[in-house]
Amino acid sequence: MEYSSLQRQVAYMKKRLFDQGYLDEQFYQLEELQDEANPNFVEEVVTLFFRDSSRLMANIEQALEKCPQDFHRLDSFMHQLKGSTSSIGALRVKNECTQFREYCDEGNLDGCQRSFQKVKREHAVLKQKLKAYFQLLRQIGPTERATPPGG
Amino acid sequence: MEPSRAAASTASSGRPRNALRPLSDFPAGLRVLVVDDDLTCLKIIDRMLRKCLYDVTVCSGAAAALAMLREKKGEFDLVLSDVYMPDMDGFKLLEHIGLEMDLPVIMMSADDGKDAVMKGVTHGACDYLIKPLSMEALKNIWQHVVRKRRNELKELEHSGSAEENDRKKRAPEEGDNASSGNEGSWKNVKRRRDEEGEVVVQEEVEEREDPSTLKKPRVVWSVDLHRQFVAAVNQLGVDKAVPKKILELMHVHGLTRENVASHLQKYRLYMRRVSVPQHQGRLDTPYTGSSEATFRSVDSFDGFDLHSLAVSSQLSPQSLTTLHSAPRRVTNTSIGMSSVDQMGFFNSSAQISNASNIRPPLMQQINKQQMNFPSGPSTSMESRQLGQSQQLIQSYGNMGLQASEGASVLLNLPSLLRTSTSFPGGSINANLSNSSVMQMTHRGQQFSLSQQRNQIHASMPQLPQTRGLILNGIAGEHDSRLPTTIGQILSNEVSSHISGRSGSNMNVDTSLPGGYMNASSYGAVSHALYADFPNSCMNESTGSCYPLARSVGATSLTSTAMPPVGDVEALGNSTGLRGAKDFVPNYDLFSELHQSKSQDWKLQNINVSYPSDQHLGSKQSNIAFGSPSLAHQDSSATVKDGSSRNTRTVRKEIFSVRTEIGHEKGERIAQRNRTILVENSVRLKSEGMSDPRYQDVLFDDNIIQNELMNVVGKKQQEGVVQVDPELNFDGYSLDNIPS
Repeated sequence: MEYSSLQRQVAYMKKRLFDQGYLDEQFYQLEELQDEANPNFVEEVVTLFFRDSSRLMANIEQALEKCPQDFHRLDSFMHQLKGSTSSIGALRVKNECTQFREYCDEGNLDGCQRSFQKVKREHAVLKQKLKAYFQLLRQIGPTERATPPGG
Repeated sequence: MEPSRAAASTASSGRPRNALRPLSDFPAGLRVLVVDDDLTCLKIIDRMLRKCLYDVTVCSGAAAALAMLREKKGEFDLVLSDVYMPDMDGFKLLEHIGLEMDLPVIMMSADDGKDAVMKGVTHGACDYLIKPLSMEALKNIWQHVVRKRRNELKELEHSGSAEENDRKKRAPEEGDNASSGNEGSWKNVKRRRDEEGEVVVQEEVEEREDPSTLKKPRVVWSVDLHRQFVAAVNQLGVDKAVPKKILELMHVHGLTRENVASHLQKYRLYMRRVSVPQHQGRLDTPYTGSSEATFRSVDSFDGFDLHSLAVSSQLSPQSLTTLHSAPRRVTNTSIGMSSVDQMGFFNSSAQISNASNIRPPLMQQINKQQMNFPSGPSTSMESRQLGQSQQLIQSYGNMGLQASEGASVLLNLPSLLRTSTSFPGGSINANLSNSSVMQMTHRGQQFSLSQQRNQIHASMPQLPQTRGLILNGIAGEHDSRLPTTIGQILSNEVSSHISGRSGSNMNVDTSLPGGYMNASSYGAVSHALYADFPNSCMNESTGSCYPLARSVGATSLTSTAMPPVGDVEALGNSTGLRGAKDFVPNYDLFSELHQSKSQDWKLQNINVSYPSDQHLGSKQSNIAFGSPSLAHQDSSATVKDGSSRNTRTVRKEIFSVRTEIGHEKGERIAQRNRTILVENSVRLKSEGMSDPRYQDVLFDDNIIQNELMNVVGKKQQEGVVQVDPELNFDGYSLDNIPS
């Protein structure tokens, strides 16, 4: 049946995201907040996250270029990013953020630069994956989505 | 799904506590304000809280949040704030809220380091949650609201324990109370209330006898009282000052060791917070002239104060800078403040309150004064404010100024003066801030406020005691709504706190001549502060301004609309305390004061200002508390007469409120003004809040009053007691409270 097939696909996709460490338990918390009254909550939050985080990352990038020695500033930016990434359960991105902050503490600019590239990469990858995930979810239909299989 | 109330700006949010939800639903309907600059987190938390059936309002900026809190005092039960925010440090916000509104605040952060958590604890956060948040963590945040109220009640109880017997006797005790001076003020209040309504007496007795009710009157640390306290501490030596000995030295009838102990604790905290960098020892501020005198008096505190101030101040970089610029000033201030603390507080409060009302003129004055502030407050605002405050301070006396300056500096006055709401707070704050503000801001804001308040009060002849209320008034003024509860509580608290806490409190006592603030200044200030209640305060003559029950209460009656309490608080808080940011000084002062953990004063204020009887009369007669506050009806008369009537009405409301609170039903209380819980235990108690309908709420009078205000306010929306300006918040002046 197509429906169940789609559902299975979604379930599988989700499982992979978790297994590969892209997402963590916090994502489940988000799903729990979704219900009939808020059928697209998770997607809304994720969309909001990517929008905000992109802006934040642009700031970080700029800071790395213009005032690279201002570790305090870099750190505070990253702290913000870390806060929101952890809120949606973006595990990998969060880990890279943590790494970045460690380099900041050390004053290791080079380390920061490298780490930031990783953050950007993980961020982009997650964005793609979640985009595909939500697209699939939409195909299933609201009711299905409300109770994600294997969630 | 309830639409999320985003409040990026001061959009209206928060919901007045209308009796929309049955208490049995608690914690559903708990009104939470969430502050976080991260929109993603904000959305998630908002959703989570709604899922818990809480009533959520979101805000993405600290400044906006504070403005909203001030504007809608009494409409929130709990605040959830992120630590790291671009426009303001979450901890600063925490302090402000504590001082001004005395709401439980929970901090959140992705930072789970021990230092960060410790910081949250030391700043007074009720809890510290680590992000990412989970539903489990948020489900139980209501406990903090309940706990806070319980603690407030307990404090009232404790502070009033010694007085119980006295109160029972009422009339004959008058003399006794008088002998104890200010200290007995609360007693007076209680008594007054009792006299006001027969029922009250009865209820009061009942309540008192019922340990569970815990309606102990709060000890109002009036200016005089605080002065005595400070003198005793100095005499004994800072290190050797133990409650027992202090108590002995003070010779205050009815004061218990516990009262002194808790006050001492606050005082110490305040001193620590307010301590200014050592090198800033001397205040050579322009005000020096007069300040000199003040400083002298403070000498005793000198080493201690300054140091503690310096240490505790924890001035922000800016403030420190400012301080440096006017180092002396700061230090002196602290010192001065210490001695004057009480005075300062009170004055400040008063001033602030006045300020609110007279904002424009005062502001200008203050601004001017500010200008004098040489070192220059870090921000322009500060200077402006300082200037103003200076003026106010002048009235206070040198100390005031000094204090203010110091305070401003310490506090980073800019924020102080910046009362968001009305200026008056700001300006007043300025003054206050000097003395109190400084103190307050940083930590001891409470003190500052008190001082300021005191100062303000000081001038008023009748308000010898620190008028906690004044603070309230001030705060209230701010919005002129002052939710009764808040305002009241704040005032009281502030006063008390101020003494102890804000190290910087100006030693108004010493330096300031009798009435710190000239009556005129005071008046002005009071007026300013109590937009609504101005009259009461000022009219009466200064003394009467603040019926404890006051206006705050009355105002709060409408609860939604009543700012009085809140305003005052705001005023109080902003005035001095803020220092850090652009907070409205009044608020800062008061909030800080209040916040200062001194639950004690909170209660005092609750004065649910029962607006003139008319309003309340119809309502439950229980509300007896009216006595103090109700009086306010038109004249500053604080509450004497109408109070009984109003009280009744209010009482009823309050009772319900109280009941809820008292019984820890949490629900209601949470919904009601938190402030209400505070204080006015005295009043309420005497009132005998035992409203059959509502069950005795143990809250302290204040609480009840506040609650009442809320309740009443709501109920009476139509005809309610509109914030009766007269009611003024004179929370502190117990004297005025007709009982």
